[in-house]
Amino acid sequence: MSSVSPADLAEHEFLRGLADRHLAQLARVASLATAKPGDRIFEEGSRADRFWLIRTGRIALDLQVPGPQRLLVETLGPGEVIGLSWWAPAHRWEFGAAAVQPTTAFELGTGVVIEMCEADPALGYQFTRRLMTVAVHRLNATRIRLQDLYGGSPPPAGGP
Amino acid sequence: MTTAVLPLRYQVTDRRDETHDTVTLALQPVDEPIAAYQPGQFTMLYAFGVGEVPISMSGDPAEPGLVQTIRAVSAVTAALCAARPGQMIGVRGPYGTDWDLPGVAGRDLVLVAGGIGLAPLRSVVLSALTVPGMCRRILILIGARSPAELVYAAELDGWRARGADVRVTVDHATAGWTGHVGLVTQLINRADIDPEQTSALVCGPELMMRLSAQALCEKGVAPGRIRISLERNMRCGMAECGHCQLGPLLLCRDGPVVTYDLAASLTATREL
Repeated sequence: MSSVSPADLAEHEFLRGLADRHLAQLARVASLATAKPGDRIFEEGSRADRFWLIRTGRIALDLQVPGPQRLLVETLGPGEVIGLSWWAPAHRWEFGAAAVQPTTAFELGTGVVIEMCEADPALGYQFTRRLMTVAVHRLNATRIRLQDLYGGSPPPAGGP
Repeated sequence: MTTAVLPLRYQVTDRRDETHDTVTLALQPVDEPIAAYQPGQFTMLYAFGVGEVPISMSGDPAEPGLVQTIRAVSAVTAALCAARPGQMIGVRGPYGTDWDLPGVAGRDLVLVAGGIGLAPLRSVVLSALTVPGMCRRILILIGARSPAELVYAAELDGWRARGADVRVTVDHATAGWTGHVGLVTQLINRADIDPEQTSALVCGPELMMRLSAQALCEKGVAPGRIRISLERNMRCGMAECGHCQLGPLLLCRDGPVVTYDLAASLTATREL
């Protein structure tokens, strides 16, 4: 496990602007994780007890479908959070995840983070607000993808 | 040279299937050519006996002839897509406003394309890559439904080799795809953009352009430095018939390319 400093965490988009004392708390329990292309990060249906803040690389979320291939749902990159399922019951991964590029991320265990948030409502509020922002953005992106953004409307014939 | 009301005869000299419904045609004049064009402008292409449609220029303006990419979505475009080498097509134009390439010289050029919206931007890419150092940086962000719906897929590595930073995302990945999956706006959010130095050109379906322009604005790019290409029912190409009116604009003359500070309110207004 590599040590992570509060300054390291402060540079991540998800934690930007968080109070120094909260960054220090999180740094004590965060570790630096690495993954090679093809490494599975977690499997659909298994217990969601960690989440990651991606620093470099790319992670794909996927779904198991009949046959040998998994269905790629979305890719996530630097500055983004991977793993939201821990936040809500039943605390199991809704998707699987695998690295598609060499990836580094800050890894945080959800048990200890939840304990910190319950002990310090200010931190809990910050986490809730930030996770809600991520969830809202992903929900909106999903709604727009459902509209067939590139195919359903003009320019119909190659422009203009 | 003329911007004629009557179409001039062009012959199809080459044809390339881009996707299952999209074709790129190379055209050479049989008689007199149309006037020189700028990237972003369009022609009216006439499938003889079927009808006429507006199609953007997709070639290098410095090269002779025309290159135009067409998606078969109507009787006319299906007839154009079915054209084979040797076949005649009528061409009027060029019409409309352009992407203002001189205005992006020396700056960071960010191109955002959705689906076949890459077609009107291909002229920009070819022009910008032909002149080394014309732009400080060329970042091309492309969104498509799926890898199979990606136009100019065979050219993208060549653009990368010539210095462009090309990033592609799809809505629906297929086996073997290792690129991004998600909206093209997410590529904007993830991109390292210097807002003061950036000029952005956005082309695709109108909703995609609006969301992309908003994402660029959130990055700090000034709306006046963002250009989008609007489409309405273009018929005459000469601002005479009024079919392509959008608010105060006749898009065949005042568009298709407009700055987002002008277009923002127009694209967010319900039309009658």
